[in-house]
Parts: sequence; C-alpha cells; structure tokens
Amino acid sequence: MLPPRTLWLLLLALLVAGFGLAAQLDPQFQTWRGSRTGGDFFKVMLGDSRSMFANSFYVKADEYYHSGYYPTIFDDNAAFQTAHMAADTGAVSTKNHGDEHGFLGPTRNWIDAFGRNFFPDRHTHLDQGGADDLGGSENVREILPWLKLSADLDPDNVQTYTVTAYWLRERMNNVPEADALLHEGIRNCPDSYDIFFELGRLYYEAYHDRQRARNVWLEGVRLWLRLDPAVPRGKLSATQLIAGWVDRPTNLSPVQADNQLVMEELTTHLAKLDEDEGNLPEAIEWLEAAQKVSETPQVLQLEIGRLRYQLGVEFIPVLKPLY
Amino acid sequence: MTTILRTDKLRVEFRSRDVGQTTKVALRGLDLEVRAGEVFGFLGPNGAGKTTTMNVLLGFVPPTRGAAYLFDIDVRQPIARQRIGYLPELTYYYKFLTAEELLRFYAKIFGLPRPVANRRIPELLKLVELETAARRPIKTYSKGMQQRVGLAQALINDPDLLILDEPTSGLDPLGRMKVREIIQRLKNEGKTVFFSSHELGEVESVCDRVAIIHQGELKALGRVADITGSHANLEKAFLDIIGYSSQPAS
Amino acid sequence: MKNISAVAGIVIKELYRRKDFYALFIVTVVICGMMAMINIYNDANIVRYLKEICLDLIWIASLVIAITTTARQIPAERDNRTLLPLLAKPLTRTQLILGKFLGCWLACGLALLCFYLFFGALAASREHHWPVLNYLQAGLMHWFLLGIIVAFALLGSLIFAAPSSNATICFVLVGGILFVGRNLDRVALTLREPTRAIVNALYYALPHLEFYDLRDLVVHNWPLVAWKYIILALLYAAFYMAVFLIGACLVFRRKAVN
Repeated sequence: MLPPRTLWLLLLALLVAGFGLAAQLDPQFQTWRGSRTGGDFFKVMLGDSRSMFANSFYVKADEYYHSGYYPTIFDDNAAFQTAHMAADTGAVSTKNHGDEHGFLGPTRNWIDAFGRNFFPDRHTHLDQGGADDLGGSENVREILPWLKLSADLDPDNVQTYTVTAYWLRERMNNVPEADALLHEGIRNCPDSYDIFFELGRLYYEAYHDRQRARNVWLEGVRLWLRLDPAVPRGKLSATQLIAGWVDRPTNLSPVQADNQLVMEELTTHLAKLDEDEGNLPEAIEWLEAAQKVSETPQVLQLEIGRLRYQLGVEFIPVLKPLY
Repeated sequence: MTTILRTDKLRVEFRSRDVGQTTKVALRGLDLEVRAGEVFGFLGPNGAGKTTTMNVLLGFVPPTRGAAYLFDIDVRQPIARQRIGYLPELTYYYKFLTAEELLRFYAKIFGLPRPVANRRIPELLKLVELETAARRPIKTYSKGMQQRVGLAQALINDPDLLILDEPTSGLDPLGRMKVREIIQRLKNEGKTVFFSSHELGEVESVCDRVAIIHQGELKALGRVADITGSHANLEKAFLDIIGYSSQPAS
Repeated sequence: MKNISAVAGIVIKELYRRKDFYALFIVTVVICGMMAMINIYNDANIVRYLKEICLDLIWIASLVIAITTTARQIPAERDNRTLLPLLAKPLTRTQLILGKFLGCWLACGLALLCFYLFFGALAASREHHWPVLNYLQAGLMHWFLLGIIVAFALLGSLIFAAPSSNATICFVLVGGILFVGRNLDRVALTLREPTRAIVNALYYALPHLEFYDLRDLVVHNWPLVAWKYIILALLYAAFYMAVFLIGACLVFRRKAVN
C-alpha cells in the first residue's frame, strides 16, 4: 500500500493529465460534425423523431378542439384528415369527407353500447363553446399548450404557426403574441406563403394597417408563384409576376395544386384592399388571378362583373358585394 | 383430568411435486394427549416431526389421516384457536407496528373488548419488560426484544393452552431464565403449556411429562422421571431412545 | 367482520407509514407546479392541459400504489413469517384475504382522496368553479377500478412466484385493457381463426377497465354521466372483484403457509 502523500500526488497528476487532454481535444471536438453542443434541447434529446412527437401534439390540440370527442386509430377518421382547428381558420384546404358526428359507427355489442356512456359522445368545437357551453368562444385557448409544444418540437411545421396565430388573434384577442409567433414562424420558415397570409390578416384586421398588410400579402403571392419553376426568377415584383401568370394558361405545379386555397385567399384579400382604395382595375386583376385557383370561379366572375359595372365597362344587375 | 390437546392416529404425508420422488411421511399415526394444567415437553431430533405436529395443531397443515383436537374441537375449525396462544420458533412481526399496536391488533382478532385490551396490554408489556419500548416500531427491536413481543402476543388472550416452538431459542441465559419463570407462573395459574425444545436441561426442570418422537413415530411418553429411568439424565435417555449409540473415539 | 377490519387496519397503517404514497404525491405536486408555471402566450387562464397532466399523474400514481401494495401483501407475510402467528389466531384464510383486499382498497381510496383534493384545488385556481359532482363521479369510478385491480393483484400474488412478476403482469394487463380493451373485438376481426375466437372471448371475459376512465369528461367539462350508468358500472366492478376474490380464497385455501 502506497503512503497517503504518494496517493495524493498521483491523484493530482491524474487531474492535471485529464485537464491537459481535455484542453488538447476541445478544438477538435468543436469542429466535429456530429457535435450536439449547439443544438436545442429537443433536437439533442429526440433527434429526428421530434417531428413525430410534434405531429402527435398537433393532433392532440385538435382533440382538445373537439373536447375529447376524437377518433382513435380504430375509428373511421376520414372526416378528420385535416385538423378542424386548422380548417376553421379558413386558410387551409381540407381533405375531410365522411361523417364527423358518427365516426364511431353503430354500436357493435352491449359492451360497446354501455361503454359509450363514459367518454365524450358529441361533436363540438371549442370556439363555439365546446362541451360545457360555459366559457363561450374563448375556450379555444385550451388548444394553445399543445400547439406551442408542437411548434417547439418541429419549428418547420408551418400550420402550427398559422393556426395558433389565428386563434390567438381571432378569439383571444391576443394580437401581440400572434404577431410575435408569426414573426418567429417567418424566421424558421422564410418561404411560407401561409404565414405571410396570416400575418397580413393580422395587420389588416387587428392593426387596420393596410399598407403593411398589402406588402406582406404581395410577398405571399410572390412566394406562391415561385413554387412553379417556370415562373421567372429575379427581382420582379408580385404585381409583375401575377400579370404574366394570369395571361398564361393555368398550369399549376403539384405543390401549388395542393395549396390553391391560400392563393385564392391572398388574391381575393388584395382585391378587397384595392377595391377599398378605389383601384378597381387592379382589384379586377387580382380577382382574375383568384379565378385560376378557385373552386367556385363563377362566384368570382360575378364579383368581376360587379366591379366592371362600377367602372362603367359592363352592364350587370346590382349584386350584393362578396364582402 | 380434562384432555386439552389430543391427536388420534395422526398421519401426515407430503407428496413431492418432482417427478420420480416418493411421498415423504412426516407423522406416522401419532397418538398424543396433553392434560389440563400440565407443562408438556415435546422432544425429538431435527426432522422428527415436531414442527409438523405443531403445524397440524395450529391448522397450517391438514392431516392426511387421523385427527387432532384442541379442547375437543377439531383443529380445522378456527374456533379451536380461540383459547390458545402460539409462539413460533422464529419471531417476526410487522416491522412498521409498535409493540402496543401489534398487541391491540391481535386483541381485536380475539374479540377482546376494548376495556379488557386496554388493561391487558400494559400488564403484558410489563411482564415481558417492554414498557419503555412499547411505542417504538418493532424494526428497532433486538432479537431478544422481538422474542419477548412474541411471548406477549401469545398471552394476549389469556390462553388456556400455550403452544411454544423453541421458546428459548436465541436467548441469552437471562432471557431463558425469564421464559422459564413465565412458564412456571402460567402453570401455577392452571394453564397448560405445550412446547418443543432442544434444551433438555430446561425440559427436565419445568416439564411434568414429555413425549419423544423420532422419524414421525412416538417413541416415549410419560413423566420425566419415568423416562429418565436408570439413565444419568434426560439427555442420555433421549439419545438411547432415538437409537443413538456413542462410539468411543479411536 | 371484526377480523377483516382488523387486518384491513394493518394494511392502511402500512401504507401511510411507508414512503411510497408521500413520494408519489410530492412528485405529482412538483410536476403540476412546474407545468402551471409555463408561460403560454401570456394567457393565465389555460387550465385543461394542466388538468390532464395532473389526472394522468394521479392515474399512474394510483396504479403504482394499488399494484405494488397489493402484490407484496401475502408474499411479505410469508417471507417475514408474520403469516404463521396470524393464522394461529381464530382467523380463517378467507378472512385474511378479504381483510387484505379491504385494506388495500381503502388505502387506495384514501390516497385517491388526497390526490383528487389536490386536483380540485389546482383546477379551481384557474377555472374558478368546482364541479364537485363530476369529480365525485370520476373519483368513485376510479376507486372501483382500483378495486378490480387490487382483487386481481391479490389473486396474482397467490399464483405468481414473486411480487415483481405479479406486479409486471398486472401493469401490462391493466395498460393493455385501458388502451386496447374497447376495440379488442375489432382487432379480432383482423385475425384468423382460432385466434379470432380467443380474442373475441377475451373481449367479453376481461373486465373493461376503460369504463372507469372519466378523465376526458372531467378535463373537458362534459356534463355528468347519468347515475344509472354509474351504478351499473359499479355493479360490474363489484362482480369482477367478487370473481377474483373468490378465486383468491380458493387458491389460498390449498396453499401451504410454511
């Protein structure tokens, strides 16, 4: 057995050697491509599976939107392909079909019939009060924690920002938080036309700032148009791009085809802005662009006709405005 | 004299679950009688069947053939145990309870009215010298203290028959003396004590009658003096009865 | 009855003298406290996520308490050799089993009471209303669910070799029934015979523990369940408790205790 003094000196020598080795290796560690020291907590802990968790929390938020009345993996979820909390914002194309009220189907046996008394049994939406009809439309705040968690886990999911911001603005009257969230969304997803549309709605409806709304919507249009590789790149403005696009035959890229609704919303909102400011020819041009992506072009045609009548270009019966 | 404890051609067999193993016979037609008011020693070498006999008397093991009775009630009836006290060889009790709580629990099972239990518990704690430790959890007790708790719980219902399995096992000489004193006191009160022990010197000094069993069979039954007979002491008589012959070292 | 209540009293004493319940309660309180402090878009009135997290923790804690407490009752009596002095008293084996069951079930009930009081206080701090009847229904159903589980675990403690294996099997079974039990008949349809028949038989034979899970109703403030259905569910639970307890008594009668 070594004397105590020797043991202490040995320990000291080991500590010095360890420290020196760490100092020597640290620069190499910092340049190591697999280093996780710069990553955020979720990225480090969960890796690529975080988007899977994010999606499950997104679905959880929709489940809360329905006060727990939600299909499991065993039920018919055809009517829940697109989250209702997203579809109700009016800016998301929905793939839902089938019966949202009766996804459980008829009762299969007495156990199933009896068991249905012990879980939510009615289709409701939180923004209309939900199951208890107590709190009114502010109940929709209850979906926010899950949306926040989903956004933290997967910052690249655009819909999380737009849905959250919509409900923050529309029902909770929490405009500053919605504004901050959308700006965060733009930082994480700079090419997202959905976020620009929602931001524009915020500026227009909450701040009544038409100019900023216009700028942001134009940026949204530009980003949407550039989804088509055939659309010219460079420093063309959205107005210039849209003029060329309207004159060409309709030829949407696959991504554009899946996101027609947001383009329709962008163009109809820009048309409304121009109409309010008396720029009727520009408004008509926006509506013609909207027709190319709308599922109801004939309705927009009536609007175009109304504006042309106001311009004195056409005679049409007086119709109620679209807005 | 009233017979307190009786076995009638008691036979106990244990069937092994292993394939190819035969049945083990623990007791072979044991006939035993213990009379009221006597101190009865139950002796035998390890594996003789003493514990099996006690297990049958206490209802832990059913007899294969024959019967056993306490106070003329078949031991398979729980009421047969209403007037007995039992001290097992290895004394373990609920570690999270205090001695007082343990005694109160057993008093409730015996159906003792609360005033009776309130009077009896301090008396017993004083008898076994645990008054100062009565409110401490049993897990803090030494082996000797646990043994004394065991004795107290065996006496909680003021039993007419006390069944003790190796009551002085693990005790120091002072502890053993205290147990002997308690047994003597109980005898003076007219209680019956039935106990097994390897301490033949103790058995010789306190017992009225003894029984010696070996390999499940009763080999001897009678008064200590009669069994000792011409032997120097009970130990030598015991060894002779079980067939042990000592060879001088060569 | 006095014997049964005496044994039950010992079990309850054991629960509040062990650290399990306090540790689980403190963990629940700490986690809920941390969750409550999270800033969610500067909105201090959001409450349902907190209710759900709290109820989930309560369910986990209650299952842990129920299963681990019950699984070790008879094996601990045997291993600690406290069973012999107990059965040497005028106490039948059936009374012992019933006393253990009653003690574990009442102990779970007391634990649940503490948990649900905390839950009620937590929810009321944000909702500013206290639906007592809803909580009562949920707590009562939860308690009866634990009764079924306690009875099953007691039977398991007499059949399985070790408390750990019994507890594992109980957790797996309870978790499986809660998650899949409701749809086991649909799972059966996807299988071939004879597996289909077996799974179908299980669907009808196993206790449907999901009946007793009223968390969604409590979290989302649904109206009360009709009391006639609650009573029927409680009777259903009582039936399964009786079945498992009778099984336990029959098994214990034949078991060697030494």
